[in-house]
Amino acid sequence: MDSLSLANLRQRPLRTAVSMAGVSLGVVLVTLMGGLTRGMTRDAANRQSNVDAEIRFLPGGPISITTSNPLMLSARYADALLHGIQPTPDNPAVEARPPVAGVMAATPVGQYLQAAGAIGFELVDGVDFQSLKDTSRIRIIKGHGLGDGSDEQSAHEAIVDKYYAEKNVGLDNHPVRVGSSIKVLDQTFTVAGIYDPPMLARVKIPLKTMQELFGGADNCSFVMIKVEKPEMIKQVIDTLNEYYPGNNVIPTSEIPALYSQNLFAVDVLLDVVVGLASVISTLVILLGMYTTITERTREIGILKSLGASKRLIVSIIEREAALISLLGVILGFVLSVIGRYSIQSSTRLIVDLDLKWILIAATIGMLGGLLGAFYPAVRAANLDPVEALSYE
Amino acid sequence: MQAILETIDLKMTYRVGKVDVHALRGITLTVNRGEYIAIMGPSGCGKSTLLHVAGGMLTPTSGRLIIDGEDVTAMTDAQRTEMRRRKIGFVFQRFNLFPTLTAEGNLKLAERIYSKHRNGAESEARRRILKLLKLEEKMHHKPLELSGGEQQRVAIARAVVNQPALILADEPTGNLDSENSKVVLDMLRGLNEELGQTIVMITHNPEAAGRADRVVEMRDGLIVSNDALVRG
Repeated sequence: MDSLSLANLRQRPLRTAVSMAGVSLGVVLVTLMGGLTRGMTRDAANRQSNVDAEIRFLPGGPISITTSNPLMLSARYADALLHGIQPTPDNPAVEARPPVAGVMAATPVGQYLQAAGAIGFELVDGVDFQSLKDTSRIRIIKGHGLGDGSDEQSAHEAIVDKYYAEKNVGLDNHPVRVGSSIKVLDQTFTVAGIYDPPMLARVKIPLKTMQELFGGADNCSFVMIKVEKPEMIKQVIDTLNEYYPGNNVIPTSEIPALYSQNLFAVDVLLDVVVGLASVISTLVILLGMYTTITERTREIGILKSLGASKRLIVSIIEREAALISLLGVILGFVLSVIGRYSIQSSTRLIVDLDLKWILIAATIGMLGGLLGAFYPAVRAANLDPVEALSYE
Repeated sequence: MQAILETIDLKMTYRVGKVDVHALRGITLTVNRGEYIAIMGPSGCGKSTLLHVAGGMLTPTSGRLIIDGEDVTAMTDAQRTEMRRRKIGFVFQRFNLFPTLTAEGNLKLAERIYSKHRNGAESEARRRILKLLKLEEKMHHKPLELSGGEQQRVAIARAVVNQPALILADEPTGNLDSENSKVVLDMLRGLNEELGQTIVMITHNPEAAGRADRVVEMRDGLIVSNDALVRG
C-alpha cells in the first residue's frame, strides 16, 4: 500500500510539489512567527534583566513594560531612596522619609518604544549616565559616555550597544560608529560611544533630553535599584512598599516572565497565524487529494474490484496525504531555517527556532493534511465500484 | 459436483430517469468447481450486469446468488466486499492495472489486499502463476512498458494470485489482436486445466467462446441457451 502511495506521489510530481509547498507555507508561518516572537521577547527580556540592579521601582497601576506614555514616575525617587526626603522651605509640607536601608545605588530610566526600520520597533532609554554606571556593569568600549544633557552638545548625543552598531547604518548610510548621526525620537543624535554588555534598550540618550521631548517634567519610567547585598533584596522591597505605597516594586529576576505576560496581543496574533496555517494546510491537501481522487476514480474502482474495504481505501489515501504532509513539514523546516538566516542577516529582528513552535508547526502540517484528505478519502471509499470502473 | 456460482431467478432492474430497465429478468445458472464457461450475447443483453452481480459489485433486485456455498443476496456491502476479496478474481477488457506500479507491484498489491499479514516475499502461488503465464521476465516493467497481451497476462496473474474460487473475466480479449488473444485464451485454458480454476468469461468472440467447456447465450436479460461444448 505504501508503494502505491509513493508511486502516486512520483507519478504526479507537480501536484505533489504544490501540495508540499502549501503545507510548508503553513509550517514556515508558524515557525517563523513563533520564533520571531520568542526571539524578540527573549532578547528584550534578557536586556531588561542584564543589569546588576536587583530591584525595579515602577509607577502604580498595571505593570506595562512598553507604554505610550513613558514618563510616569518622578525621577526624584532615585535620590529619595538613597538620601531620604526632608521638608524644605520650598516644600514644607512634604512628609519626611529616611533613606532606604540596603540601597547602594539607584538610577532613573525613561523608556520609549519607537518605530524602527521597515519592520520592527525599538526601545530607547533616557538615562542618567553617572548613576547608571553605579547600578550596572555598563562600560564604554569606544568613544565616551553620555553627559547629563544640560548643554547643547551632550543633549543630542547617544550611545548604542555593539549589536546596534553592527546591524545599523547611520544617516550617512555607513555602518554606525562613533561620530555617526542617527535618528532617535525624530531627532538627530550623534553617537558618542558604543557600550557593552547589551542592557535595556540598545540606544540610550540623556534622560533630560527625553524629558524635554515629552513635556519637560522631571519624570522617568522606572528606577533601577542596586542593593548592598543580594540577601537584602526582600528587606529593601518591603521597606520600599512601606515608605512609598501605591507603587510597584519587583525583583529584576521577574522581568522576563513579566515580558511574556505583557504580550497578550502578540499571543492573539500567533493564534491567528496558527489558525491560518491550519486552514492553509487543510485546504491545500483537500484540493490536491480531491483532484487526485477524481483523476484516479478508475483506480479506486480497481481497488474495490480487488476487494479493498472502505477502511483500506481511506487508509491508502490518508497515507498518501500523510506522506505529502511529512515532506511539506520537512520542506517547511528547511525554508524556516533559510528564512531565519535571511531575516537575521538583513534586519534587527531575532528569530528563535524553538522546539515548542517546531512541534506546533509539525502537528498543524500533519493534522491539517490528514484532515484535508479525509473528505476525499471517504468520498472515494463510497464510490460505486461499477461506475468507478467505467469512469473515463 | 460442487457449485461455485449459483444464481436462482436473479433479477436486476435499473431506474434510468423515469424508465425501468430490466437488465436481468430471471437468471438461473449454476457453474461448478473447475468449470470454464463463456457467456455470449449481443450488447445490452445483461452479460456485464450478470458478471457485476456475480462479483458482488451490484446488488440484485431479487433472486438469490450463492458463491462457493455462501448466500451473497442477504449480505451487506461490507460483507460482499469481503466475499469478493476472498473468493473472486476479476479480469477486465481494459486490463485495469495500476499504471504507477510495476507488474510485480500490481500483484503484490492484490496479495496485500487479500492478506494484510503477507509480506513482500515472493509467495509460492505467485511463483507458480508467473511461470505458467510466462511473466517472470516482465515483473519489473510498468504496464505502459508492456504489450497489450502482456498487460492482460499480468491482469490474469493478479486475478488468480490469491487462488480465488471464481475468475470473472469481462471480454478479456476485447482489446487484443488475434495473436495476443490466442495467447491469453491459452493462458486461461491452462489455468483451468492445470490449476482447476473456475472461470466465467464474457465474450463476443465465438472463437474465444469455443475454448470454454460450456457456452451460455443471453438475450434481453434471459438465458436462451446453455450448452456444453463437445471437444473434438
